Amino acid sequence: MPDSIEIEISDPPAEVASPPAKVASPPAEVASPKPRRAARAKRVAEPTPESVSAPKPRVGKPHTDAPAEDGDGHPTPSHVDTFAEDVDVRITGAGVPNLTPAAAYWDVHPSDSMHEVELEVRNNTSQQPSQATVMGNVAAGLIDLIGENMRRMTEEQVGKAREMLSGTDLNDYLDPGFWRGIGMVLQYQVQEQVDFIKRRLRGEYEVDPYGMDVEMIEVVRPFLAFMYRTWWRVESHGLEHVPAEGRALLVSNHSGVLPWDGAMIATAVSADHPVRPDRIVRSLHLHWFSTLPFVAPALAATGQVPGLPENAVRLLGNDELVCVFPEGLKGVGKLYKDRYKLARFGRGGFVQAALRARAPIVPVAVVGAEEIYPMFYNAESFAKLLGFPYFPLTPFFPWLGMLGTIPLPTRWSITFCPPISTEEYGPRAADDPLTVLALAERVRDTIQETIDLRLAERTSLF
Amino acid sequence: MSTVLINGIGGALGAQVARQISTHDEVTVLGLARCEPPAPVGRAEWLVAHLNGVQLTELLRAEHVDTLIHLDFAGADAPAGGREAAVQQNVIGTMEILGACAAAGVSHVVVRSHIGIYGANPKNPTILNESRPAARSGLSGLLRDLAEVEHFLAEFVLKHPELSVTILRFAPIVGGWSPLIEYFAQPSPRTIMGFDPSIQVLHIDDAVDAIVRAALSPCAGAFNFAADDAVCISQAIRLSGQQPASTFESMIGLSASVGDRTKLRPWPFDLSFLRHSCIVDTRRAKDVLGWSPLHRAVDSIRTARQNGRVSDDPAISEAAMRAFLSRKG
Repeated sequence: MPDSIEIEISDPPAEVASPPAKVASPPAEVASPKPRRAARAKRVAEPTPESVSAPKPRVGKPHTDAPAEDGDGHPTPSHVDTFAEDVDVRITGAGVPNLTPAAAYWDVHPSDSMHEVELEVRNNTSQQPSQATVMGNVAAGLIDLIGENMRRMTEEQVGKAREMLSGTDLNDYLDPGFWRGIGMVLQYQVQEQVDFIKRRLRGEYEVDPYGMDVEMIEVVRPFLAFMYRTWWRVESHGLEHVPAEGRALLVSNHSGVLPWDGAMIATAVSADHPVRPDRIVRSLHLHWFSTLPFVAPALAATGQVPGLPENAVRLLGNDELVCVFPEGLKGVGKLYKDRYKLARFGRGGFVQAALRARAPIVPVAVVGAEEIYPMFYNAESFAKLLGFPYFPLTPFFPWLGMLGTIPLPTRWSITFCPPISTEEYGPRAADDPLTVLALAERVRDTIQETIDLRLAERTSLF
Repeated sequence: MSTVLINGIGGALGAQVARQISTHDEVTVLGLARCEPPAPVGRAEWLVAHLNGVQLTELLRAEHVDTLIHLDFAGADAPAGGREAAVQQNVIGTMEILGACAAAGVSHVVVRSHIGIYGANPKNPTILNESRPAARSGLSGLLRDLAEVEHFLAEFVLKHPELSVTILRFAPIVGGWSPLIEYFAQPSPRTIMGFDPSIQVLHIDDAVDAIVRAALSPCAGAFNFAADDAVCISQAIRLSGQQPASTFESMIGLSASVGDRTKLRPWPFDLSFLRHSCIVDTRRAKDVLGWSPLHRAVDSIRTARQNGRVSDDPAISEAAMRAFLSRKG
C-alpha cells in the first residue's frame, strides 16, 4: 500500500517520519487548518486497497473497521494535537479521481464511501465549538447508519439513494439541506427494508417457536448500533463476564419508561463481546407487552420473550443467554426523583429459574437509561383508563406527541459484573425461599454498588 | 391377538389409521362410521351406524374390543353442521363412548384432541407441555367442545383406573380438510392488525403415525403432536398461496357475528388465536411413544396449496418425475 501513495509534506519537514502511518490508520483528529483536505486525503488513502478490490466482509461487529473511533465509539479528543500542524497529504499513485462532494462518495463501494464521509464529518467535528460537535457526531452516526443499511441494498436501490443525496453536501451538517437529504434517504431505506422483509415473507424465512426471526434482528441491528454508539455513546465494561457459549442469566436494573436498556444490553453483547460477538440475548419482557398490537410481534421477532418463569427455565435449558429485569414495572415506571434506587426484586423468581437451570447469574448495571425520559409524574388514573401499566408525564411527553418519545441522548455505561455461580446449590434449592431470597439480595446489592460506583465516576449526564 | 375399533373411520384420518393398523397382522381392525370411508381402509371391517351407549356397549362386548380409537368429532375432519348437533356429537357422544368402554371392559381408549385447548393466552408459557390444563374460558366452537371433553376425561380417568385413556393433542392438521385449511382457502384470510403469532401444524401422515403408536403401545395421559418448526400466521398464509388481510380487530368481530352463528366457525375458532401463539412441546411424545414428525410445517403447508392443482412449471414437473423414477434407488 505505501508504494502507491506519494506524500507531500509542505511544512514542517520534521514531521515527515511518522505521519504516513498515522494518517493511514486514523484514530486521527487532525488539527489542521485545512481539515477537509486532510481528511479527504485520508479517505482515499485508507480504504482504497481493501475496499475497492474486495469489500470488507461483514461480521456482526459493525465498527471493527471504523478507525476514527476509539473502543467506545466516539472520537478521542486527546489525539487532536498529536499530529503536525498543516500536514498536506496528497495521493497521486492510485489514480485518484477529482473529488467533488457528494458525487465522489460513490466511487468505491457505496457503504464504504458513506463510511469515509462519516470519518470526515467526525474529523471536522473536532474543530467546531462544543455544540456543533454533538451535532457533528450525530451527523456522522447517521451517515454511518445509512452506510450500514446500504450493505444490504441492491445496486438499483443504492442508485436511488445516491440520486436523493446528489444535491446534498454531506460535509456540511450545519446546512438544513444536509438533514433533509439524510432524512429522505433514511426514510427510503426503511421503506426498502420493509419491502425486503415482505419479499422474504413470501415464506422463505424461519422463526423459532418464540417467533424470533434472525433476519429481522439483522435489519434492526444497524439502528440499535447507532443508538448504542452515537446516541447514547454506551461504554460497556466487563463483557468478558458474559460467557461466549452456554447458558447464563443476565440480571439488570430496569429504567427508562421504554425498555431501551434491554436493547442496549443486547447490542453490547452482539457488538462488543470479545469472543463471540454475534450472540443473541433473549430478554424477558412483561407479558403485558404481548397484548399490544405491533409491539408484540416486533418484540417476538427480535428474540424477546414474555417474562414467565417457565420461559426462562426453558430458554436457559437450551443454553441461551437470557436477560431479566427483576424490578419489572416498578423499575421502568420509576419517577425521575427515584432514579438509581433499585426497586424490590420481585419474589426472586429469576433466582429460581437460574437455580433450576443451573445457570450462572451475571449482574448487570445500566447507568444513563434513567434519564432518557425524565418522568416526573405517573398519571395512574389515565393509565388505568388506557389499560397501560403506567402513563408517564415527562417534560416532552405527551406534550410534544410522537416527538416526545425520542429519548434524551444521555451518556450510558453498562457494567457486566463477575458471574455468580449457582452450581453448588443444586436445583432443589430453587424451592428453598431462604436461599432464593438471599441470592436475590446478593445480586441486587451487587448491582446497586456497581451503579453507585459508576454514578460517582460520571462527570456529566450527556 | 388384539382388536382395535376405530370410531370415525369415515374421515380421512380414520381411514388412514385403519390402513396403517392393518399392516400389523396380529391386530383385528374394526370401524364405526357415520358415512362410508373416503379411502381404502386395509383389512378393516366397518359398519355405518349411529349407535347409542347401550348399543355400543353390546358391540364392544361382542367383538371383544381391547382398544377404542375415538376420532369422530364434528368439525374436525369435515365442515360441521349445526352447533347443537356438534355439541351433541362431540361432548355427549364422547361421554357415551367412554361410558360404554368402561362397561364393556375395554382396556385402552385413545381420544384425539387439539393443542388449541390450552388457549391462546399471553399468560401461558410460550411453549406448553402436557401438564398445562385445558383452558376454562376463551375458547369457542370445536375447541370449546374438546376442552369440555378434556375436563370430563380428567375426572373420568380418576374414577376408572382400570381404563387407560390416551389423549392426543394435535396441532392443526394439514392434508385433507381441516379448519385451518378452510381458513387458508378463504379469499384473503383475516389477521388482526398488529399481531402475527406463530402457529404449529401437523402433517396428516405424522398424525396417523401418532395414533397408531398410541393405540398399539401401552400408554396413558396426554401427548402433544406438532411439526418441529413453527411459522408465523402471515407466513403460513403466504406459503399457502394467499395474502393475509390484516384488519382492525373490531371489524373481524363484527363480520363474524354477522355470519350464521349456528354454524361452527373455522379456524381460528377464537380471535385470541390470531393474537397470541399457542405452541406446544412435543418432547413427551418423542420420548414415550418414539414418535417423530417426518414433515416440516413449511413444506406441508406449501404442499397443501398444490393439492388438486398441478403446477405448469416444467422444472417442477421434471423434478417430480426424477424423484419418482429414483424412488427405488
